[in-house]
Amino acid sequence: MSIVAWFKRFKRRRLDEEDLQEEIRAHLAIATKERIADGADPESARHAAVKDFGNVLLTREAARKVWTPWWLELLLDLRSDVRYAIRTLAKHPAFALTVIAVLTLGIGANAAVFTILKGIALSPIAGVDGSARLAVIYGETSGGRQIQVSYPEYQLLRDHDRAFTALFGSALAKVNLGRGRAARQIWAELVTGNYFASLGVRADSGRTILPSDEAAPGRPPIVVISHGLWRRDFEADPDIVGKTVEINNNQLTVVGVADPAFHGTTVVYDVEVFVPIMMGPQLGFSFGSREATPSAILSDRRAEVFFPQGFLRPGPTIGKAAAETEALWATLSRDRSSTDAGVRARVVPFWQMPSGAPSYVLPTLTVLIAMGLLVLAIACANIAGLVLVRGVSRRGEIAIRMALGASRTRIVRLLIVENLVLAIPGAFIGVLLADSGIPVLVGYAEWLAAPERVFFNIQVDGLVIGFAVLVACASALVFGFVPALQSSRVDLVSVINEDASPRGASRGRLRAGLVVAQVAVSVLLLVGAGLAGRSVDAARRVDPGFDANQVSGLAIDVRQNAYDEPRGRAFYRRLLNAALTESGVESATLAAHAPMAFLDTRETRVAIEGYEPRQGEDMAFMSNAVGPDYFRTLRITVMAGREFEDRDDETSAPVAVVNSTLATRFWGSAANALGKRIRMADGAWRTVVGVAADVKYSQVNEAPRPYFYLPFLQAYRGNMILHTRGAGPVDRLVERARATVEALDPDLPVLYARPMTEMTRGAFIIFDLGAAMLFVFGTVGMALAALGTYGLVSYSVKQSTHEIGIRMALGATGTAVVRHFLARGLRLGAVGAAIGVVAALGLTRLLGSVLFGVSATDGPSFARALAVVAGGVVVATLIPSWRAARINPLTALRHQ
Amino acid sequence: MTLHSRRDARTDLLHGTLDMLILRTLQWGQQHGYAIGQTIRAQSSDVLQVEAGSLYPALQRLAQKGWVTAKWGQTEANQRAKFYRLTAEGKKQLLREESRWTELVNAIGRVMNPAAAPGGRSEE
Repeated sequence: MSIVAWFKRFKRRRLDEEDLQEEIRAHLAIATKERIADGADPESARHAAVKDFGNVLLTREAARKVWTPWWLELLLDLRSDVRYAIRTLAKHPAFALTVIAVLTLGIGANAAVFTILKGIALSPIAGVDGSARLAVIYGETSGGRQIQVSYPEYQLLRDHDRAFTALFGSALAKVNLGRGRAARQIWAELVTGNYFASLGVRADSGRTILPSDEAAPGRPPIVVISHGLWRRDFEADPDIVGKTVEINNNQLTVVGVADPAFHGTTVVYDVEVFVPIMMGPQLGFSFGSREATPSAILSDRRAEVFFPQGFLRPGPTIGKAAAETEALWATLSRDRSSTDAGVRARVVPFWQMPSGAPSYVLPTLTVLIAMGLLVLAIACANIAGLVLVRGVSRRGEIAIRMALGASRTRIVRLLIVENLVLAIPGAFIGVLLADSGIPVLVGYAEWLAAPERVFFNIQVDGLVIGFAVLVACASALVFGFVPALQSSRVDLVSVINEDASPRGASRGRLRAGLVVAQVAVSVLLLVGAGLAGRSVDAARRVDPGFDANQVSGLAIDVRQNAYDEPRGRAFYRRLLNAALTESGVESATLAAHAPMAFLDTRETRVAIEGYEPRQGEDMAFMSNAVGPDYFRTLRITVMAGREFEDRDDETSAPVAVVNSTLATRFWGSAANALGKRIRMADGAWRTVVGVAADVKYSQVNEAPRPYFYLPFLQAYRGNMILHTRGAGPVDRLVERARATVEALDPDLPVLYARPMTEMTRGAFIIFDLGAAMLFVFGTVGMALAALGTYGLVSYSVKQSTHEIGIRMALGATGTAVVRHFLARGLRLGAVGAAIGVVAALGLTRLLGSVLFGVSATDGPSFARALAVVAGGVVVATLIPSWRAARINPLTALRHQ
Repeated sequence: MTLHSRRDARTDLLHGTLDMLILRTLQWGQQHGYAIGQTIRAQSSDVLQVEAGSLYPALQRLAQKGWVTAKWGQTEANQRAKFYRLTAEGKKQLLREESRWTELVNAIGRVMNPAAAPGGRSEE
């Protein structure tokens, strides 16, 4: 039935009602007249007609039932229930507001987590419908390393893989926009021609990139810019299409502006330009290929370009798609070079994309979801306690309703409706809470990521509201149902006999159960929060292998002012000399990458002289190009040999420094490594002149891994980081470095300049954000549990006023009374704590993926949680007991 | 205000019978509610007394099914009343009810009096 028909029916109902009333009046009038005509006097005729008619109300009721469908009747019943509930609750505003407040906290926590989950897992790509259904292909080496797919391999998959409706690819790249002073670095995606069409993303103006743009390397020099870039950098110029922008020193023609909602497909990164993949080599990207010409790079099967992705055809599951793709891959890779023989194709859902943000965030998120639900569980237990206590005081009302013939179902329904009336505002205020909390979280993450532009697809929307309402209703059923059943089981006789003191065993058990449950869950929450806190401490205490204090970091890209290689080398030399002459600078150096910057850098395949790799052994390692004094500046221990010096330049013999793990793996010890030789891909052999201690290269919690360093003059790059170390305030060091660059070339933009301690904070993001949220959840949970326990204990004390009076009249002291109730409370607390500890021992194992440097059964965390809970229970019990002890026995006995 | 969306078969039969009587009464022209009750009562020689509490819901039901239509009008005594009239669909329904009723009565008759000739009695 359509909505319109529903409304028509609803409206007609009232008319029908009036019509029937009129008809009955007419009936009575005719009957009366007939009787008068038969000779009766008017008065008795009217009486007889009415008597003859029977029960008017019942008739109307029966007729109404004919035209009222069952759902309408249910709806009308509900409406009256809701009205009644609102009236009742308005009479007890303290109760109603407490329940709504408690529920708001529970729902708010869950709505916030759900919003993040939605942005990461359910709709990871803004502006693309059903983006969670995207599947991703990657190569996996026999060593388990996940590698990207080359362009020719992508073409073959695109043309032959039937599991996908279309396969597109996009490589994330940092590019320079503009030249000289005004230049800045932005995120670009180098995309295939079918990228926009496959995703269903339209152009806001102009056109998108089309398959015809994927014809030949180096052509066509076009770009699609994001709506944000168009607004920020081009002041929303309506004639933008056809103008040119300079990207990596290439003039590209703007052909269109992308849809406002679209921020690229790389989760968390705010991508601002989209360039055809064919332009990649032209813009200076080699994708790890050793080929020199742009066209050769795109036909090199050893280049790692991107992860092909696409929507699966309707029908095949991801497993089937994986099987098909892998079979296809096996036939395609028959002619691959033997070193790659071990590479297998894998197909995974979008959120499992290698090194994608979702794969980093989801483990933490899972823990947050669990914690959020625990907070909600406490909130529900809390409210159940309130509802239960209130149910007791409503026994009289319920007894009267039952005596008047209300069925038990009817009463239970009324009580549940009452809870729903409380739950819905809780849901909406909870969503508001989440809505105001998320920008704080996003702001914090943006601050951590600066100066990179990040974008989070996390807003509160209809889905979140729906989720909150659903959770609220579910909670209302949970916290309302058990007490409702209890309340409806009223013994009429006992109530009417005024024996209203509910000392029934089952009610007491339920109350005790609620206390135990709240204590248990809060132990669980506090242990989780404690473990997370200790993880953060451990992560901060861990020795990263270098000293970031008193060191500045300043990034430049000399290509932004059109330096070629010879001029770039000259500039770097002058820069190092100038930096060293600044006052307060002890040492200065250059490096391609900063350590512990959260993300892995590209790995390079390495050959070790005299070492025959095992079949399929993974010989690709991360590396860094660094200047003289690098190890001294960052205080990385050189275990053997020497570090790079000024003489290690492009004219001298090729050298390298390896880390301790690499030296031990191939030569047994650091000392043995000196004088040995390694070779990168097809380059020249390099002599190992030094061995450096291991460093945390990407993340705090990474395992030791092989790593090597090259002298920066033997591995030229256009973008470098200048590090300086000095004793003074680090901010001054940063300012001096910036001044040095400006003095040398005022037109070369500084990408960023800041203390190195700020550069490494990205490595703590997950720990920090996770711990912050877990701390909030733990605190909220504990506070709720303490309040709930307090409420239930003080209620039970109040119920026992009579008993206290007797005890005291018989000579019990106030201390004895306090001791009695305290013992009772602590007994319940102890049971709850024991259950909580057992549950925590079982569940904290799941925290393994987010914990660092602390065991899941960490003693101090458990001890601290227990201490806090014990304190909470004691306070929550002591206050009402102490109050009970001050009762005047006479008043207490007169209580009934 | 409890919910009775399902009715048992027994009341269904009674409802059906009352519906048939009302349709039959309307066969000779439109009538208002009171007159329908009086007609059934008179024709059954005061045996069937239709209560208003059954009559009006039944009329509502018939109107909802489209077998009768209702219209306000004036009685001969110049009293406003709601008149019910049989629709084409209602006439067909009446025929169906009649034959069903005949069958039922015959069947019951055969059970109660096996010796009697079949089809000996038709409706009055």
